[in-house]
Amino acid sequence: MISEKKQTITLKETITDRVRESPVDLYQSRFRRRITILLVAVAVLLLVARLVRHFTVDRPVDYGDIREQFKYGSIGSEPGGSVLAPVGGLLPPYWIFKTMPDICRDRLPGGYASLGLIYEKHKDLPIGVSRRRRLGFDQLGFNCALCHTGTFRNSPDGVIHIVLGMPAHQLDLQSFFRFQLDCTLDERFTAGNILARIKRAGGKLSLFDRILYRTMIVGLIRENSMRLRGRLGILLGPSVTSWGRGRVDTFDPYKGLQFNWRLEQLPAHELIGAANFPSIWNQQPREHMHLHWDGNNDSVDERNLSAALGAGVTPVTVDHNRLKLIRDWIWTLPPPRYPSYPGEINPTEAARGRVLYEAHCASCHAFGGSATGAVTPLVDIGTDPYRLNSYTFMLAVNQSSLYPDSPYHFSHFRKTNGYANQPLDGIWARAPYLHNGSVPTLRDLLEIPENRPTRFMRGYDLLDHTKVGFISNVPKEKCHACSEFDTTLPGNSNSGHLYGTDLSPEAKDAIVEYMKSL
Amino acid sequence: MTASEVTRVENDIILQPLRFRNLQVKNRIFRSSISGRWDNYDGSGTQTRINWEAKFARGGVGAIISSFVPVHLEGRIMPNYAMIADDRSIPFWREVGDKVHGFDCKFIVQLSHSGRQRDVPGVENFLKKGLSSTSRKDSFHGLLCRAMSIAEIRQVVRYFADGARRAREAGLDGVELHAAHGYLFTQFLSSAINDRRDEYGGSLENRARFLLEVIRAIRKEVGADFHLQVKTNALDYNNALYPWEKPGNSLDESVRVCKWVEEAGADAIHVSVGSIFPHPLVPPGGFPIDEINWWYGVVLPSGVRAYLNYTIFHFKLLRPIFLHLWNRTKKLHPIEGVSAEQSKAIKRAVGIPVLNTGGYQNAQLIREVIRGGYCDAVAIARPLIANNDLVQSIAAGKDLPDRPCSFCNRCLINSIANPLGCYDVRRYDGNQDAMIGEVMTVFQE
Repeated sequence: MISEKKQTITLKETITDRVRESPVDLYQSRFRRRITILLVAVAVLLLVARLVRHFTVDRPVDYGDIREQFKYGSIGSEPGGSVLAPVGGLLPPYWIFKTMPDICRDRLPGGYASLGLIYEKHKDLPIGVSRRRRLGFDQLGFNCALCHTGTFRNSPDGVIHIVLGMPAHQLDLQSFFRFQLDCTLDERFTAGNILARIKRAGGKLSLFDRILYRTMIVGLIRENSMRLRGRLGILLGPSVTSWGRGRVDTFDPYKGLQFNWRLEQLPAHELIGAANFPSIWNQQPREHMHLHWDGNNDSVDERNLSAALGAGVTPVTVDHNRLKLIRDWIWTLPPPRYPSYPGEINPTEAARGRVLYEAHCASCHAFGGSATGAVTPLVDIGTDPYRLNSYTFMLAVNQSSLYPDSPYHFSHFRKTNGYANQPLDGIWARAPYLHNGSVPTLRDLLEIPENRPTRFMRGYDLLDHTKVGFISNVPKEKCHACSEFDTTLPGNSNSGHLYGTDLSPEAKDAIVEYMKSL
Repeated sequence: MTASEVTRVENDIILQPLRFRNLQVKNRIFRSSISGRWDNYDGSGTQTRINWEAKFARGGVGAIISSFVPVHLEGRIMPNYAMIADDRSIPFWREVGDKVHGFDCKFIVQLSHSGRQRDVPGVENFLKKGLSSTSRKDSFHGLLCRAMSIAEIRQVVRYFADGARRAREAGLDGVELHAAHGYLFTQFLSSAINDRRDEYGGSLENRARFLLEVIRAIRKEVGADFHLQVKTNALDYNNALYPWEKPGNSLDESVRVCKWVEEAGADAIHVSVGSIFPHPLVPPGGFPIDEINWWYGVVLPSGVRAYLNYTIFHFKLLRPIFLHLWNRTKKLHPIEGVSAEQSKAIKRAVGIPVLNTGGYQNAQLIREVIRGGYCDAVAIARPLIANNDLVQSIAAGKDLPDRPCSFCNRCLINSIANPLGCYDVRRYDGNQDAMIGEVMTVFQE
């Protein structure tokens, strides 16, 4: 073998011969490098712009008809803010909401409708749930219609009438929240399960979305659920009287969500505050009356905004413009007329009742009455005190910190010592009665507490044309979408409001007949 | 020749002699500068070049303006072009002159420096940027360059003077400074290219300084009795190809330069147009996209835009982009006598003879421009490649030869890679072999 030393050039030197570059080569190398950098930069910019757009687009689904907007339009209660630190919202994204009943079928065998959410024909979502593109997803939120749309029927087989602005007496909101927390923290709530069900349901997610679901969304929802359970779990547990159908504890969740209070540290009685959903029609004459059951606010607009907070809106995510659309509509929305079936209101009886009503009720409950909209001290009205006591001075003080330095600054909340005298427009559609819904019918309310029903069913939407209210003695097995109301539980007392209880049965019947026309 | 024919010839202005201050040419047809890559790589001449020039001398042209003859290796446009960069080249050029003179034809050597416009710089140059007035690359191929220092300018001035001396020593009949078509002189003259801030840039006077210094240096070197002409642009049309480029010098500016050239001692002006070469108007005619696709590869390593150009030339879908740009100015001008009007303006302004080049072939047109005061003679290249005996054809009374040049420019594109000749196969009735056979005659003495 010839020695390498005798070679002119070694193999290694040949292989590693330097690659030289002409000025043209150097220029083109620089040019290509710059183009590459530019292209990469442009690609990164485009990607960033795409991501920014993807995650910052805020596009609610709007409706031309104000009634549709009320039922399905957004008020800003969908999660929003920054994708890195989302705020607000009580509902998961659209597709998760849609698939959750399937994922946790055993927890909600009847679907959302079994909780009293109202589905209209050919509608994708129940009334009271809005859709909005936020944080890169189709998000869902509650709107006013969730708690302020009710149904009634004239007969068991009759048509279900949907009344906008009516208290959602059929809605079991507490169970809904329980289901949502339980399901999102269920071991079956995984990205794989969710994506499979989305696909089965015909959903077409982009690859990007699927990646986000797998890497971020499901985890965030579970984190949020854990956070909510930590803050609100006590309100959903056995230590608190169940809200039941048609009721909500307005202010205790507020304490936990808006002000981060540790609810376990509050006195147990303060956490019992469930009360009926109110009607929201005819708001104009209510301005400057004491609103809320305890009359803690006399501004319709501030009350509206506060209620929106309860629906999941935050000062960051609130959609004032769309909220105003609803505000303007309910400002003059008339109460529903009493249904003609099975017969017209008996005019003779009603005329007699009118006289009695004006003598015994109008001063507190008719528009223009001397005490209408005023607060009657608890010692005088004598009704259940829990709702009054759950709203505290401390909460009022905290509420005054909301929307600082803005036209929406909360400044009307105050602590009262009783319950407000409500105008009774559309009262036939606002059963059960008293602030806590402890009296099923108007006729029962004219009886002394001892004679009022102590246990009855709520959520059944068959009208009681005799006693005015809803049929409440329906057997459990005939009403799966009902909940039993026990007046002996804390916060459920049917005591107080003895006005008219000393009238004759005929007089009471006449007053009730007249009140159908309010 | 009958008496009437003699009378016709005697009366034909084309065939009348043209007298310059230091030179008389027997007729008004000059073979314009054009060449193939005939010579040795190092720029020494070969017999083929002598054969090439003899073709036209034999064909009857009054004078031959040589091909682009670099005065220095750095200033060549491509290898295999005979240079006049040192005294060793003098015998070769003497041989060329002697051969041409044998046909009663004059030989004017075109002293040239490419500046940045080096289509194929060659192994000696390719690692160096071209010299120029500017450091901005050219707009067509993207040929890189750097702005010359004052010392380098003075050195190049010296190269031209030495080149002229060598031409005279070789017994040639004169020199032409190639100050057109984007080469070094144009790079100084053109307002679209020259971005200097010293005494060689800015005002027209400053931009013309380099050219005028060369003229004066030549005069100082060879005296006042040696023919010196300057080929210059009447218009730069620097934005003819790419509309975003600056337009360059106007006709008025060119007229002023020509007056200064005359004052500096030039004996004639040779008018053309175009601040790059090739240019949509120079040479006027077609742009054979098939030929450029075949042969442009030679230029690829030379310019930073060459790959882009080649890509456009290569892909049929992209070709219309370039052709649109190439033709957008061209279609506003005639092919034949493309710069005649500008030549007329210059001729009015100067007192020395004016040659004009750009699409001349038709004898009637040539007579019209000479009689009409557009110019005193015309310089022709491509039609003479097609018909070396064009002058004899005119003398025989034909306005056009039997198989005239089509101005297809296939010769132009082939010249960068192949022996120069007429590559329009239509002129050979589609017979490729016959066409190539004619091209190859240049290699035969």
